Amino acid sequence: MRASIVAEKAGVRSVSLVASGFVKQARAIAQALGVQDLAIAEYPGVIMTDKEADFQRKIEAMADQVVEGLAAPVRAAPRKTEPGPRDIVFTGTLDGVHEFFLKNLWTDGLPVVPPTVERVEEFLRFTDRSPDDVLGVLLPEKREATVWNVAVNGVMAGCRPEYMPILIAAVEAISTPEFRIEDGGSTPGWEPLIILNGPIARELDFNSGQGAMRVGRQANTSIGRFLRLYWRNVAGLRIPPGATDKGTIALSFNVVLAENEEAVAEAGWQPFSVDRGFRAGDNVVTVQSMVSISSPIYCGGDKPEELARTLAEVFGRDTCGYWSFTGMRDQWFPLLVMSPSIAKALARGGWTKANLQRYLYDNAKIPAGMAERYAWQTGLTHFSIKRLVEDGTLPKEFHESDDPNRLVRVFMHPEWTGIVIAGDPDRNQCRGYVNNHKQGPPVSRKVELPARWTQLLKERRK
Amino acid sequence: MMDRHTQHSPAEPTYGVVWPLGRSTSERVDLSPPISDLSGKTVGEMWDYLFKGDSMFTILREKLRARYPGIKFVDYSEFGNTHGPKEREVVGKLPDALREHGCDIVISGVGA
Repeated sequence: MRASIVAEKAGVRSVSLVASGFVKQARAIAQALGVQDLAIAEYPGVIMTDKEADFQRKIEAMADQVVEGLAAPVRAAPRKTEPGPRDIVFTGTLDGVHEFFLKNLWTDGLPVVPPTVERVEEFLRFTDRSPDDVLGVLLPEKREATVWNVAVNGVMAGCRPEYMPILIAAVEAISTPEFRIEDGGSTPGWEPLIILNGPIARELDFNSGQGAMRVGRQANTSIGRFLRLYWRNVAGLRIPPGATDKGTIALSFNVVLAENEEAVAEAGWQPFSVDRGFRAGDNVVTVQSMVSISSPIYCGGDKPEELARTLAEVFGRDTCGYWSFTGMRDQWFPLLVMSPSIAKALARGGWTKANLQRYLYDNAKIPAGMAERYAWQTGLTHFSIKRLVEDGTLPKEFHESDDPNRLVRVFMHPEWTGIVIAGDPDRNQCRGYVNNHKQGPPVSRKVELPARWTQLLKERRK
Repeated sequence: MMDRHTQHSPAEPTYGVVWPLGRSTSERVDLSPPISDLSGKTVGEMWDYLFKGDSMFTILREKLRARYPGIKFVDYSEFGNTHGPKEREVVGKLPDALREHGCDIVISGVGA
């Protein structure tokens, strides 16, 4: 569909082939991109579960729609008048505000804190940037992400004003072209995950210990909620009655994952932010997509190989194995969250993060035929490991025979697996988070504090 | 009319609230004129390498060739995967590629 709009801009008449369940999304996105009546030939039903004879019949019928679509008059989308940032769009009671925001699809379904100008301005005190600064333009609705609307959505999510520097860094991360927020409404239903490093985690009372990924601590929870709200409101990705978020079953917002840097230091390892190229002690936000979570993975033993073997099996083969075909054709950044005791046990055995990454790379494997079947059923009907080896995308070891039972690696590069230390220090558990390939790769931004940060925090805590 | 949830006493505070969205940067697209006769036209096939698009194009080619004399098709492989690892590069080159191939029409798929 995006290719059709590029063709139209180039002066070439187009028609898009779209399955019926996605027509509403295609029209909404086309309209957001300036096209009112993009020609669509509709495939009725679900392509991947239709019988071959039905598929053939339906495509033959689509030929007529292709012809009709090319011949139909097409209008440009009308320009809508929208409010300015400081315009008061509604005045009413708390319940009235909730109803108004619900009706306009401006909430996540939960009540919000009313974004009054006064509350927004309190947030703006915690940044030295101008409220009008544009942090990026977010697809699919192509709306400007600004310091102002970060503050508005931060208020709504129940954040404290002092979270503002973290909110700005998170939005900067998702605004980068490499993050590909335009794919944030794809059917896997992925969700952004914010990872936080640096002394600000302790300063603002983030939970990096027991229950780290559970709602309940204001900093972790409200900032996680903020990003989901921002996703809906500024990127414009909304589930029904909206049309642009097509997550089939999908996931809901993640709380912020704050790394336990004291535990990292005790293990003699380096923080995740240093792995990402920053200096230890920097306040850093990393955002990446997360499409599924593993079981809790309990690792025991006093030898690194004993601990790592279970991770290779459960995190590697069982959890990431299913989605490994995405990494075979593109970038892919799974994430392992590890409770401190396991990191310390590995470190006692002389292992660094790099040793563990290498072990997982070498030992997590699945049958090639299984990866190809998973890819085909997802809709990658052209996927072939043999073809990826022939075009140089994959190394030769992936296709040394045609045996579908030959084992191939789950992880394409050792360093693509991120490792973060968090969770209960009194237990020996990991969880794996599966990234959605090139859609939402990890993007990191340093948190910029205002010049009067310390003073402002003191004032807040009086 | 207010329901019971929105009824309030005169003493209940009210809030003037601002808009949580951002300015739209979307520009209207000038669209190309409709084409009612495909005879002699050149059709560029754009594929995202998903959902059996190769089979779809095979069937569509056959049906349209039977109906419109002189219609020509530029195979999707000439343009590259419009939603693959090199998506931005492929899509960025599309206007030039369409000109080079003399395309009058694009059929693009598959959205699902």
